[in-house]
Amino acid sequence: MAVPQRSSGSRFTLAILLLTSVTLISLDARGYEPLANLRKATTAIIQPFRNIASTVFDPIADAWESLSEGDSLEKENALLREQLSELLEYRVTTEGAVEELAALRTQLDLENLGGQKTIVAEITARSVSNFDPYIIEIGKGTQSGIREGMAVVSVGGLIGRIEDPGLRSSRVRLITDPNVNVGVLAVGTNEIGILNGGGVGQPLKVSDGIPVSTDVEIGSIMVTSGSERSPYPGGFAVGTILEIIVDEINLEKELVVAPTGQLENLEFVTVILYQPTASDSGGDR
Amino acid sequence: MTFLRALKAVAVLVVLLILQLELFASIRFFGVMPEMMLGAAVASGWHGGPTDGAILGFVSGFLVDLYLASPLGLSALTYALIGYLIGIISELIAEDVERIVRTVISLVGIVLGLVTFVLFGELIAEPNLYNKNFGKILVVGGLYTGLFIPLLHFLMEWVFHQGNYRNNQISMTRVQRN
Repeated sequence: MAVPQRSSGSRFTLAILLLTSVTLISLDARGYEPLANLRKATTAIIQPFRNIASTVFDPIADAWESLSEGDSLEKENALLREQLSELLEYRVTTEGAVEELAALRTQLDLENLGGQKTIVAEITARSVSNFDPYIIEIGKGTQSGIREGMAVVSVGGLIGRIEDPGLRSSRVRLITDPNVNVGVLAVGTNEIGILNGGGVGQPLKVSDGIPVSTDVEIGSIMVTSGSERSPYPGGFAVGTILEIIVDEINLEKELVVAPTGQLENLEFVTVILYQPTASDSGGDR
Repeated sequence: MTFLRALKAVAVLVVLLILQLELFASIRFFGVMPEMMLGAAVASGWHGGPTDGAILGFVSGFLVDLYLASPLGLSALTYALIGYLIGIISELIAEDVERIVRTVISLVGIVLGLVTFVLFGELIAEPNLYNKNFGKILVVGGLYTGLFIPLLHFLMEWVFHQGNYRNNQISMTRVQRN
């Protein structure tokens, strides 16, 4: 078999392209502003075509979803109802924590999110990658007042934060992402712990910051701490404690937390138009 | 690459990108979607050779990068390499190769692309790309994308060999490259 001669031109082209790629990665990692603008401009150009395609393909996607996930949704629904009734029973019979219930009611009231301005946004796309399932896209952006890092809630509580907002669309990074940190505290306590995502379908974890002496119980509600360095306003429900593991070496409690915010089958989310002052930001990520 | 080919290539890539974002992101098997743009890079390498494969791979990766949270350029880097590699392989094997061989090579290219993407991601920029679902993504993603390999080759044949469609010379003939 004859092996054709490759010109050095193809190698040169490849070298240029690889260099360009590495440069792009490097600049993007440094948050180079023109590159971010290029990304926004290009996506804005493609967006109208996506909108047209979305109108055409949404019915197909919905049909597929109902076909493929019908059984699992029913099971999940039944399981959630069971868990909810167990939790409610536990809370009412054993705790009688009126204060906590009142706090929970406050969190569930999406019309009045702690006096913060909010904006409702439609979810326009789920994750578009096999490797990053912690992203959803919403159809509102900086034009609607949305800024980087703002908290996003659904029925039940915090579900994520805004990342890379465009003019008319934004990405939301979900709190199930192991890289996301949220400062939280259990209702009725003052100890702030750091909550991390545990991955898709996995509970959240508070593995840092809760001393062993802190009085937390299974079923207690974890809320955003609203501490000075947190980008999230305080008092938003994040999860319910499922399990408490005592770390006797570090004298801390590790908490396994079920998210209270609805993360599946979402159509709309609410963005809290809250931004900490410049000196306060830089805490949770 | 002529201007007309470049225009056709960009049109094909944008259509594939929109399909990936708006259709295939929702139609998943076991939670995994097909990697249409990686498939396009593979097919462009096959039909366009190493240079055009690398260029179209870079462009398709860049388009994907615009919508990913991973650093801009990571997919472009990977897809350019895969396009180049498949371009070299396509030069080394006979031009009248069976379709099944082309399909198998394309599948291997896609799997290699996924592995390279995660490898580069872990090494250069984005930790946590490798997770417990990686094996599933590799197998299901590879096979799922494999379903579209004939379509992707058809589209890239249209981009690179418009003249060769006449007289039923559709399938395997690649243009002479130096």
